[in-house]
Amino acid sequence: MSNHYDPTKDISPSAAYPEVSFHHHTDDAEFKKRVKKTTILLSVVTIVELAIGLLIYNLHKGEVNRDFLILLFKGVVCILTLLKAYWIVSIFMHLGDEIKNMIMTIIVPLLLFVWFIFAFIYEGNSYKNLRNTYDLHFKETTTPAKHHKSDKADEKPVEKSGKE
Amino acid sequence: MATTGTVHQTKWWSGGKSPFNMEYGKLMMWYFLMSDAFTFGAFLISYGSIRFSQNFWPDPNVVFNAFPGAGHANLPLAFVSVMTFILIISSVTMVLAVHAGHKGDKQGVIKWMLWTIVGGLAFLGCQAWEWHHLITGEHAVLADGKIEMIGQTMTGNPWGNLVEDNAALTAALSNTSHETLVSLVQSHDHTHSAKELAAMSDAQLKGMVNLAEMHVREKGPVAFGGYFYGITGFHGFHVFSGVIINIIMLMMAQKDVFAKRGHYLMIEKAGLYWHFVDLVWVFVFLCFYLI
Amino acid sequence: MKSSFHGTEAKQKNMSEAINVQSGAAHVEHHDAHSHGHHKETFVSKYIFSMDHKTIAKQFLITGIIWAIVGGLFSVLFRLQLGYPGQSFPILETFFGNWAKGGQIQPEFYYALITMHGTVLVFFVLTAGLSGTFANFLIPLQIGARDMASPFLNMLSYWFFFLASVVMISSLFISTGPASGGWTVYPPLSALGQASSGSKLGMDLWIVSMALFVVSSLLGGLNYISTILNLRTKGMSMTRMPLTIWALFFTAVLGVLSFPVLLSGLILLLFDRNLGTSFYLSDIVVNGEILANEGGSAILFQHLFWFLGHPEVYIILLPAMGMVSEILSVNSRKPIFGYMAMLGSLFAITILAFLVWAHHMFVTGLNPFLGSIFVLLTLLIAVPSAIKVFNWLTTLWRGNIRFTPATLFAIGFVSLFISGGLTGIFLGNSTIDIHLHDTMFVVAHFHIVMGVASMFGMFAGIYHWFPKMFGRYMNSTLGYIHFWVTMIGSYLIFWPMHYQGLAGIPRRYLDKRGWVSFNDFPELDKMITIVSIIVFAVQLMFVFNFFYSIFKGRKVTNPNPWGANTLEWTTPLRPGHGNWDGEIPEVHRWAYDYAKDGRDFIPQTEPIGENESKH
Repeated sequence: MSNHYDPTKDISPSAAYPEVSFHHHTDDAEFKKRVKKTTILLSVVTIVELAIGLLIYNLHKGEVNRDFLILLFKGVVCILTLLKAYWIVSIFMHLGDEIKNMIMTIIVPLLLFVWFIFAFIYEGNSYKNLRNTYDLHFKETTTPAKHHKSDKADEKPVEKSGKE
Repeated sequence: MATTGTVHQTKWWSGGKSPFNMEYGKLMMWYFLMSDAFTFGAFLISYGSIRFSQNFWPDPNVVFNAFPGAGHANLPLAFVSVMTFILIISSVTMVLAVHAGHKGDKQGVIKWMLWTIVGGLAFLGCQAWEWHHLITGEHAVLADGKIEMIGQTMTGNPWGNLVEDNAALTAALSNTSHETLVSLVQSHDHTHSAKELAAMSDAQLKGMVNLAEMHVREKGPVAFGGYFYGITGFHGFHVFSGVIINIIMLMMAQKDVFAKRGHYLMIEKAGLYWHFVDLVWVFVFLCFYLI
Repeated sequence: MKSSFHGTEAKQKNMSEAINVQSGAAHVEHHDAHSHGHHKETFVSKYIFSMDHKTIAKQFLITGIIWAIVGGLFSVLFRLQLGYPGQSFPILETFFGNWAKGGQIQPEFYYALITMHGTVLVFFVLTAGLSGTFANFLIPLQIGARDMASPFLNMLSYWFFFLASVVMISSLFISTGPASGGWTVYPPLSALGQASSGSKLGMDLWIVSMALFVVSSLLGGLNYISTILNLRTKGMSMTRMPLTIWALFFTAVLGVLSFPVLLSGLILLLFDRNLGTSFYLSDIVVNGEILANEGGSAILFQHLFWFLGHPEVYIILLPAMGMVSEILSVNSRKPIFGYMAMLGSLFAITILAFLVWAHHMFVTGLNPFLGSIFVLLTLLIAVPSAIKVFNWLTTLWRGNIRFTPATLFAIGFVSLFISGGLTGIFLGNSTIDIHLHDTMFVVAHFHIVMGVASMFGMFAGIYHWFPKMFGRYMNSTLGYIHFWVTMIGSYLIFWPMHYQGLAGIPRRYLDKRGWVSFNDFPELDKMITIVSIIVFAVQLMFVFNFFYSIFKGRKVTNPNPWGANTLEWTTPLRPGHGNWDGEIPEVHRWAYDYAKDGRDFIPQTEPIGENESKH
C-alpha cells in the first residue's frame, strides 16, 4: 500500500495552495491612498455619530416630547454604522477585491439577520405589552413617571435593522 | 478590479481550483467569522429583545459619562470615543501590516504588527478601567424606602428613573444608614474630610444633604448590566485572543517562519480576525453607547 | 452482467491512466514531494490522532455507535416505566441503586433518562455520528480530494467531540445526576439549581459539553465547506457532484450558521446559573422565597434555542436525504430523477430551516401574529419535501432494483419521511397545535420523521459504504433481519402514539394512572414497550454484525462492488492516506449515468463519448 500523502507536507510552502491561480496585486501608492481615505471617512463618520449621540442626550433632557426626533436620529446612527461596517469589510478586509461569488457567499447568509432581528424585537415588544396588560405591578414599577407620562406607548425606539 | 479580465476567461467552478481563487485557510477564516457574527448577532439581538420588553431603559449618555482623571465631570461618550478610535487606528495598522506582508517586507510587518498589538492592549486597558469605574462607582438609589449607594453590576442597576418626589426622598433619608449618608454628603461637599463626616451625627449629615443635587434614582433594569458586561466582555475576550494571535504572528515573522514559507498569508488571516473584532465593536458601540 | 462490469472496469483503468499522463505533467513536482515523504506511521498516529479523513470518519462512527447504544438503552428503561408503571424490576435497583429504588424508576431518574436520550441521540448520534462520519468519509472521496482542506482541524473536530462526550458521560455519574430538564433545557428549570437535582452540577456539565460540541461541529463544518468549494478535482463542477455531497454541504452551512446562536444562548444561561444575571429569569418564587431576578424573559431562551434547534432537525435529516438519493439511484440502476430539482429543494429546505424556528413555540405565549407568519413559512417546507419524495419514488419507478440491505433502508427512509412529514403539516398549524402540543402526537411525529428516518439513512449509508470503509461486506442475512424488524417495529412503536396524542395523552408524564382521562391506553403502552425492547435487541445484533464484519466479514474483491459511478470506487480496495495511488482522477460527467446508451453504468471518470446521447 503506497502512502504518498502527507498532510503536513501538503500545506507546506513548496506546495502552497495549488488551488489558487493568482494573487491580487495592488499598486502600493494607490493602496495607501485608499487606506488613508477610508481611515478619514471612518473617523469622520464616528465623530458625526458621537455628535448625534450627544444631540439625543440633550433631546432626552428637554421637557418637550421629542420621541420622533430621537427615533429619527437613532435611525441615522444605525445607517451610519452600517456604512462604517461596509467600509471595514470591503476595504480593510479586502472583501471588495474578491471575486463576486465570494462576496455573495458572505452577504447572502447575512440576510438571515433581517428575519432574525425582526422576529426577536417584535417578540420582545409583544412580551412588554403582555406584561403591561396582565402584570400591573410590572407596569407601575417600571413605567417612567414625569414628563413621559403623557404618552403610554413610549418605547425606546431602536431602529430594527441596525445590527448585522 | 484589475482581475476582471481573468474572471471572464476562467471557468471558476469546473473543479481543480478554488472557485474564489482563495486558499482554503482564508476561506475557512471568512466562514468562521461569519459564524462568529452569528454568535455576536445572537447576543445583540437578545439584548434588543429584552430592551424592547422593558418600559424603561437607561440613557447611555447618563451611564457612560466618566473620563479617567476627570473626577465627577459629566463627559458623556468621551471615553468610549477614545476607545473606538484606538480600535479603528489599530485596524489601520493591521491593514498596513497585511500590505507589508503582501510585499514580503518583513520589517514592515513587524513594525505594524507591533503597533497593532499596542492598540489592542490599549483598548483592553481602557475597557478594564471602564468596567472598574462602573462596578465600583457609587450612585444614590431609592429602594425599599431608603437610599443606598450601589454600582453598576450584573445584579444591580442604579440608572432607573430620576426620583423627583422630594418628600419621598426626605422620608427615605431617615431610614438611610450612616455610611450611606456620609458618602451622600461627600459626593457633593468637598469641604469636609471623610473622617470629619464620619464623626458627625445622622441629623447633622441629613442637614447637609442637598437633595436637588443628589440625582437620586430608582433601580433600573437588571438586564442592562448583564448584557453590557456579557457582550463587552465577550468582545474583550475576542480582542484579547486577537492580541495573543497577533503576538504569535509577530514572533513567527520575527523568526522568519513566513519568509521561509515564501508568503505572509497567516498575517492576512490574523488581519481578518482583527478587523472582525473592530467590526463587532462598531455594532457594540452602536447598541450600547449610541442608541 | 458480471462480464460487462469487468469490461468497463478495464476500460476505465486505461482511461484513467491516459488522464494521468495528460494531467500528470503539471503536478510532477508536487508528486515527487509526496513520494519522498514516507513518514513513519505509528499506531497512535494511524488510529488515534490520525489526520486521515477516513480514520476520523470511523472514529466518529464508532463513537456514535457507542452513544447510540447508551441513548437507546435509556429509551428502553423509560419505556419500561411507561409500559409497566408501578411494577417492580429488582434488577434495575441492582444496577442503578437509589435511582431505581425498589426496582422502580424514580421521577428524577425518569427525567434524566428522557433528557439524556434526547441529547445523546440528537447531538451525539445523529449529528456527530451521522454527518461527522459521512461528511468526513465521503467528501474527499467523492469530490476527488486527497483529504480535507485542513486535516489537522479535522482531527481536532473529532477530539473536541470526544471531549464533549467525556464531559457528558461524566455527568451521568455524579450524585445529583445529569441534566434532567429535557434536551431543550428551558429555563427557569435549567437556570435554577434549586429547581431539581438535575439542574445542579449536571446542568453545568451539560452546558460545557455542548459548548465543546459546538466547537467540534464548527471545526468540522468549516472544513467540509471549504473542502467542497476548493478541493474538487478537475472537471468536478458543482452540478456534477453526487447529491450526498450537496446534502453534506448544506448540512455544514446549517451547522456553521446556527450552532453559534445556541452557544450564545447557553453562555447567557451559564451566566444566569452562576453569576446571578437575569437574562431568562423574572418574577420567580421558589419554596416561598422570592428570587431577586427581574426583567428577563424565559421565551428569549426558547427563541435562541430553536434558532439552532430547527436547523438542527435538518442537520440531522439532510445527510440522510443525500445518502438515500445516492443509494436509491445506484441500486435501482437509474439516474436520480430531477437532479436539479433535488438541489433546489435542498437549498430551499436550508433557507427555510432558518426561518421557522418559532413553530416549536406556538403555545409558549408567543405573539399570535408572529406565530401566523411562522405557520406560513413552516407550511412552505412541505413543497421542497414533497419534491424530494416525488423524485425518490420516480427514481425507483421501473428501476432494476437490487434489494440490498442499504436499498431497503433507503426505501424505509422514504416511507418514514412521508409518514412523519404528513403529521408535520398538522403540527405546523398553530391552531391544531393548541390541541396537539406536548402530546404523544408530537413524540410520534418527530421520532418518525427525524429520529428513525435519519437512523435509517445512517444504516443505509453504513451498509452501502462498509465495503469501502473496511474492505469487507457486512452480513446480508443479518442485514435483512435488521431491516424488517426495525421497519415493522418502528411503525408499531410510533404509529399508535398518534392516536394517544389525538386522545390528549401528554408526553413526559412519569405515571398516567393518576388521571382518568390519560389512562386510556395501558395495554397499548405495554405493547409499545415490548416492541421497543425487541427493536433495541435487533440494533445490538446490527452492532454485532458491524464489529464482526470489520474483522471477519466476506472480503471485497471487486473495487466497485455496487457498480457505482462515483469517485470513491476508483480508489484502491483499501485506500491509504491520500486516497489515490497515482494522480487524482479527472471527472467528465455527472454521477448518475446509469442505464444510458445500453450500458449499465458509466463512471464519472469516463470522458463523454463521441456518439453519446444527451440527457
